[in-house]
Amino acid sequence: MTRMYGLPWSLIFTLLGGAALTGATCGLLGTFVVRLRLSSLGFTMSHAAFAGAALGLALGIEPLTLALIGAILTAAVLGPVAERAKLPADVITGVLFPLTMALGLIFLYLAPGTAMSSSALGLLWGSLFAMAGEDLLRLLGLAGAIALTVWLFFKEFQALLFDRKLAEESGVPTRPFYYLILFLTGVTIALALRLVGGLLVFVLLQSPAATAFQFSYDLKKIFFWAALLGVIYASMGLGLSFALDLPLGSAIVLVSTLGFGLAVWSSPKRRRT
Amino acid sequence: MATPAIELKSVSTVYEGERVPAIRDIELTLESGELVAIIGPNGAGKTTLLETINGLLPHTRGQVRVLGRDVARCGPQLRSHIGYVPQEFQFDETTPVLVRDVVLMGRYGRIGLVRRPTAEDRARAQEALELLGLAELAERPLGKLSGGQQQKVLLARALAKEPKILLLDEPFSHLDFAAREGVAELIARWHRERLLTVLIVLHDLEAIPQSCHRVILLNEGRIRHDGARERVVRAFALSYGG
Ligand SMILES: Nc1ncnc2c1ncn2[C@@H]1O[C@H](COP(=O)(O)OP(=O)(O)OP(=O)(O)O)[C@@H](O)[C@H]1O
Ligand SMILES: [Mg+2]
Repeated sequence: MTRMYGLPWSLIFTLLGGAALTGATCGLLGTFVVRLRLSSLGFTMSHAAFAGAALGLALGIEPLTLALIGAILTAAVLGPVAERAKLPADVITGVLFPLTMALGLIFLYLAPGTAMSSSALGLLWGSLFAMAGEDLLRLLGLAGAIALTVWLFFKEFQALLFDRKLAEESGVPTRPFYYLILFLTGVTIALALRLVGGLLVFVLLQSPAATAFQFSYDLKKIFFWAALLGVIYASMGLGLSFALDLPLGSAIVLVSTLGFGLAVWSSPKRRRT
Repeated sequence: MATPAIELKSVSTVYEGERVPAIRDIELTLESGELVAIIGPNGAGKTTLLETINGLLPHTRGQVRVLGRDVARCGPQLRSHIGYVPQEFQFDETTPVLVRDVVLMGRYGRIGLVRRPTAEDRARAQEALELLGLAELAERPLGKLSGGQQQKVLLARALAKEPKILLLDEPFSHLDFAAREGVAELIARWHRERLLTVLIVLHDLEAIPQSCHRVILLNEGRIRHDGARERVVRAFALSYGG
């Protein structure tokens, strides 16, 4: 047998590899996003990446490059705001989410002749066929870099995730690590955009980690489970997307939400109130 | 003459977004090995002073030197030698750390970037846990402890650091009577045996340790009295009806 659902195995492995790597990377970084309450920032970043990619389509520039710029620019602008808690997180989201979304849609609208083409729609809800061998290598590089960073600076990240003030108290400088996280989140979002889509990439940064936090107090285990659950959610989403012919991003959201719901329901940490 | 442990020269600290300094024109020197208490009414600036000394709060004027070095420049490195137990803390049930990790984390700064904790580091953390009677709680999540237990964990964390200076902000506030005595004794012993410099904020004048002979009275951000214990305590009682 050389085909499945009419697709060659090589493509299926590329897709599965892409989904697994995206899931693992997002799961790992999601641990920071969830604990440091960067959700609204990540949310805004993912839509800025979407707007960037749409602009790329409109101008005929590589969408990934502009998606990266969009995400990292957002991190650079909003990072200091979020860091000092000057504005409540939901205000940031409430103002900037519509803006980035509007920009993205305008750019898509302006994209010559391709407004509703599959590549444009793929930016919104993710596309199975956007993943090429090259993307797989990029994702592999990113996943490796993030895993290495977390391993090297585990101590510092653990201190930061516990309590920023106490981390500083013990002599760990937290600011560089905080911005390192924001930067890596931006890159991850931009790379994950094609597979999962701008509307939904954020779910992979949230669900696996949120699920992992339900089950452990040991950060090493939380990192491990978040990455593993990311792989599981993304691959199962891929399967579901194939089986029911759903957009990939939506399928991943369905699986993740189900997983998170089950975790909350069965969590040993669940509050008694 | 040996370098003082702590030296503040006309220091003022203004909180971000505020105009009035929370502490102002502070002149303060603590020789190495001194044990000094700070008293003063709510809002006097006691917490602000401690956090200005270890650099958690950047001062806006003057100069803060700790162990002979400028806090504004060597903050993180100095903090790895200054134990600090904050007045306020609250760890909810979801805090993803175990008690043993919190205590070990006190040493992370001195272990240094990239390096891993050694057996020695773990031994010191374990010792600190035992000194505060927390050995049995070592594997529990921090967020599931009582307020008093959490305060003891923070004390253990500060001691695990083997600090040269200890800054304590109302360290007895959550402790029961027996624990208070035990912790006070422990602090006095470390002060005596390790020549530890201790600065301790207290609102309960009764709680000032026997071995503390110098007391500082702070009010409205300024040092009002700095001197012999009896004199300063009396002045405090007179002005604030203690
Ligand atoms: N985060 C902050 N932002 C602005 N002003 C602050 C902040 N924290 C404290 N202040 C102000 O600084 C002054 C000193 O506060 P500080 O916390 O140092 O007092 P304290 O002596 O420790 O009081 P307490 O006995 O209640 O602990 C107070 O007037 C307070 O209103
Ligand atoms: Mg205070």
